[in-house]
Amino acid sequence: MNESLQRILPRAAAVLGLALTLSACDYPWYQSIQRGYRGDGQVLILNPDLHQQRFDELEIPDSMPQADPNGPRAKDVFKNVKVLGDLSADQLVRVMISMAAWVTDGEGCNFCHNMEDPSLDVKYTKVTARRMLQMVRYINSHWTKHVGATGVTCFTCHRGRPVPVNLWFENPSSPPQQDAFVGWHEAQNAPMVSIGSSALPVDPFTLYLKGSNNVRVQATSALPEHGMGASIQQAQWTYSLMMVMSKSLGVNCDYCHNTQSMGSWELSSPPRATAWYGIRMVRALNNNFEASVDPVLPAERHGPMGDGPKLYCATCHNGAFKPLYGISMLKDFPELKGDPDKAQDYLTWKQPGPGPFEHFSSFAAPALQLTAAAH
Amino acid sequence: MATYQNIFSTVQVRGPFHEGPPMDPGGSPWRRFGRPRFIDILGKFGDAQIGPFYLGFLGLTSILCGFIAFEIIGLNMFASVGWNPRQFVRQLFWLALEPPSPSCGLHVPCPLNEGGWWQMAGFFLTASLLLWWFRTYRRARALGMGTHVAWAFAAAIWLYLVLGFIRPILVGSWSEAVPFGIFPHLDWVSAFSIRYGNLFYNPFHALSIAFLYGSTLLFAMHAGTILAVSRYGGEREIEQIVDRGTASERAALFWRWTMGFNATMESIHRWAWWFAVLCPLVGGIGILLSGTVVDNWYLWAVKHGYAPPYPPIEPPVIDPATIPGAGQ
Amino acid sequence: MAMLSFERKYRVRGGTLIGGDLFDFWVGPFYVGFFGVTAVFCAVLGTLLILYGASLGPTWNPWRISIAPPDLSYGLRFAPLAEGGLWQVITICAIGAFVSWALREVEIARKLGIGYHVPFAFSFAILAYVTLEVIRPMLLGAWGHAFPYGIFSHLDWVSNVGYQYLHFHYNPAHMLAVSLFFTTTFALALHGSLILSASNPPKGEVIKTPEHENAYFRDFIGYSIGPLGIHRLGLFLALAAVFFAAVCIVISGPVWTRGWPEFWNWWLDMPIWR
Repeated sequence: MNESLQRILPRAAAVLGLALTLSACDYPWYQSIQRGYRGDGQVLILNPDLHQQRFDELEIPDSMPQADPNGPRAKDVFKNVKVLGDLSADQLVRVMISMAAWVTDGEGCNFCHNMEDPSLDVKYTKVTARRMLQMVRYINSHWTKHVGATGVTCFTCHRGRPVPVNLWFENPSSPPQQDAFVGWHEAQNAPMVSIGSSALPVDPFTLYLKGSNNVRVQATSALPEHGMGASIQQAQWTYSLMMVMSKSLGVNCDYCHNTQSMGSWELSSPPRATAWYGIRMVRALNNNFEASVDPVLPAERHGPMGDGPKLYCATCHNGAFKPLYGISMLKDFPELKGDPDKAQDYLTWKQPGPGPFEHFSSFAAPALQLTAAAH
Repeated sequence: MATYQNIFSTVQVRGPFHEGPPMDPGGSPWRRFGRPRFIDILGKFGDAQIGPFYLGFLGLTSILCGFIAFEIIGLNMFASVGWNPRQFVRQLFWLALEPPSPSCGLHVPCPLNEGGWWQMAGFFLTASLLLWWFRTYRRARALGMGTHVAWAFAAAIWLYLVLGFIRPILVGSWSEAVPFGIFPHLDWVSAFSIRYGNLFYNPFHALSIAFLYGSTLLFAMHAGTILAVSRYGGEREIEQIVDRGTASERAALFWRWTMGFNATMESIHRWAWWFAVLCPLVGGIGILLSGTVVDNWYLWAVKHGYAPPYPPIEPPVIDPATIPGAGQ
Repeated sequence: MAMLSFERKYRVRGGTLIGGDLFDFWVGPFYVGFFGVTAVFCAVLGTLLILYGASLGPTWNPWRISIAPPDLSYGLRFAPLAEGGLWQVITICAIGAFVSWALREVEIARKLGIGYHVPFAFSFAILAYVTLEVIRPMLLGAWGHAFPYGIFSHLDWVSNVGYQYLHFHYNPAHMLAVSLFFTTTFALALHGSLILSASNPPKGEVIKTPEHENAYFRDFIGYSIGPLGIHRLGLFLALAAVFFAAVCIVISGPVWTRGWPEFWNWWLDMPIWR
């Protein structure tokens, strides 16, 4: 064997040995989950340690033993019971004690009630909580297409605290338009954690999760049909929303889409349909419940523009593909399920219409024909 | 045993400075200026001499226009962070000068701070490029050389104009053009592909990439070959073209024996020229067709029978918007 | 014989790495050598297996044929032929063919008495292929992470793997590699143009000299890298592009699993300006 082979062989052997050793180790440390056909690259890569840690930190309060559903109704036993009057008195007390564990961060009944006369609506927290209870029942009865039988309780968003960790307010802290003459940033090109530190538009929340602007941008035919269709700006806005959703659920685009054709439903995975309902659910919640709670909240609970807190995917999901990693608290609290026939009664604003365009001039042009293609 | 691979020069020769062949000034008063400087470390890899430089009217105006465009872009970026120098440096890659919003259509000018600056910067940058193009033409003419550089540059300018000018006009809106910014122009690229149904299915995009990778392949092949025969003077390509020496012969035979055919010392540069030029040329066509002629490239591929099939998802996912009563 | 006018004197014995005189001959213009035999064997076998794989699939349309790797559930094991095993054998054939081709180029270079720069450069491309189809899947624990063999299906892989990281353009190694690819193309255009412009002057002019080449670029941008330097530069740009492309994919997954835009948080969160 000549010289060059003599030099190459030991190095090749070393590389091979390293490769073999590595493949024998306990790895991979990341878990890969195949989401599509083999070899098409639709893979979710998760860090199991991170999710195990988050799971361990959930600290879901244990459910109290079921209360006796028989006996007089709560509205007959207690005063000023407007939402949970249909429950038995024991059931109501059970729910109340559970709520104290779910939202008061240890403050207990005092957080909402004046304990000398608990029926009084003196604290804003009690008025808010009432509306929140309607919201929970509304979600669990009307939005099974998103929350399924797993459902939600106060804990799903609040996680033991008065204020959920992930909320949004009008005009998050993108640099304000100081100068009218120069430096127009058109609500993008400023890195923000919510949009995954990209340069995409900073506020998809107002457009899509309060307003009901069209998320879809792809054409449904190969050749152009109705004029211009969506603009590239709109595609960036949609992309920005998708970044928010990915971060909220701790998943990547392949979780819902086959990017071969992102718009095609026949290529997409089931979570995409669930997410479609999720977006509509968030819109309904932000426009009904959050909006009606705003005036009740004190100033320190409002955002920099004076508006109340609004929710989005991360409010419940908190970085997990399912809130609480799919654990159902509702099964222990059927009282919070609500009646599907009564669900619409809770809404103060029935039909979401096109949202607040005026902030964002990208959407100001009628030439975009947004409503023509709206879904 | 280590052999010298001719990657770095070990010995550098310096002769007395000579300005080079005279150029035909064409009646203009401009001359080459600047004393040449010799930088040793540069000389280890390439030529050590820097300068002289020819400015000329075209060069001067091009640099001026380019500088104006650069300043408009930079100052707008600076303003967008409230003239805060720390935030400017911090956010630099994310900052941009954005094109107008769709509401401005094809109007010129748009309101200054809502796309007007972008139009101005675009105008000056285009002027700078076109003047620079003319410079590449003139400098070749002045030395009695062919104008191949200019025509190669024209292909790149074609792509630039398609992106920022021709296609926006065809679709009726300046908002479709590319923003000036590092990450923002990448966002534009992604959004473009998303909007038009996955640009991988655009056949001109595929061809353009083939020429991009092909150019890289060709340069690796050609440069490797020349370095491999540099011991026979292979890098003296002009001389080898007119008087084929053992360098060209061995280079040709290397490829003939490897893949069955070969180029010549001149023709390899034609292969190179066409591969490099076809990348932006064909790419520009692909961009131009998106949104004007084809609205969704994946669906177009399905229609024309080249989208690969995959086993369907079970159970199939139904578009909720098509389910009656599902709401908006 | 398919020989060029000057070829005969170069067809000498010697330069082989393996096999001595046994395979030291030409078939038409092609040099054979031991590695020519192995290259042809691997290539033919691999091609036949691709055709066989296509016959198992739903189409013979060359744009739509796809030979896919195994499901992730097979990990790093061998899969049944029709469930990705075919892909595995084809990959082995491909690596065999590519490495044989490179070693054959070494033999040819030795016979011609020239440098090994071409097979050295080719080995970068082989490295990129092996990174994509072997190294990264091994690091991630399954062959299923590799790309399929199909003209458009491999592009679906690129798209989906890119979106695994939400916005792949923000991958710093990808940014570098893309810039290097465009710069290589740019430099190639300049070099090709320069040689052609010197050797194809306008009517009535004589062929120009290297002094003219240098003068053009010094007039144009103040610097001329020279005839040797441009080839060094071109080789460097091309190889660096391929190298950083391999880097950009091998860090996606094994090193970084979040969205790539988030990578830049280290810069955004630096204490001096957060």
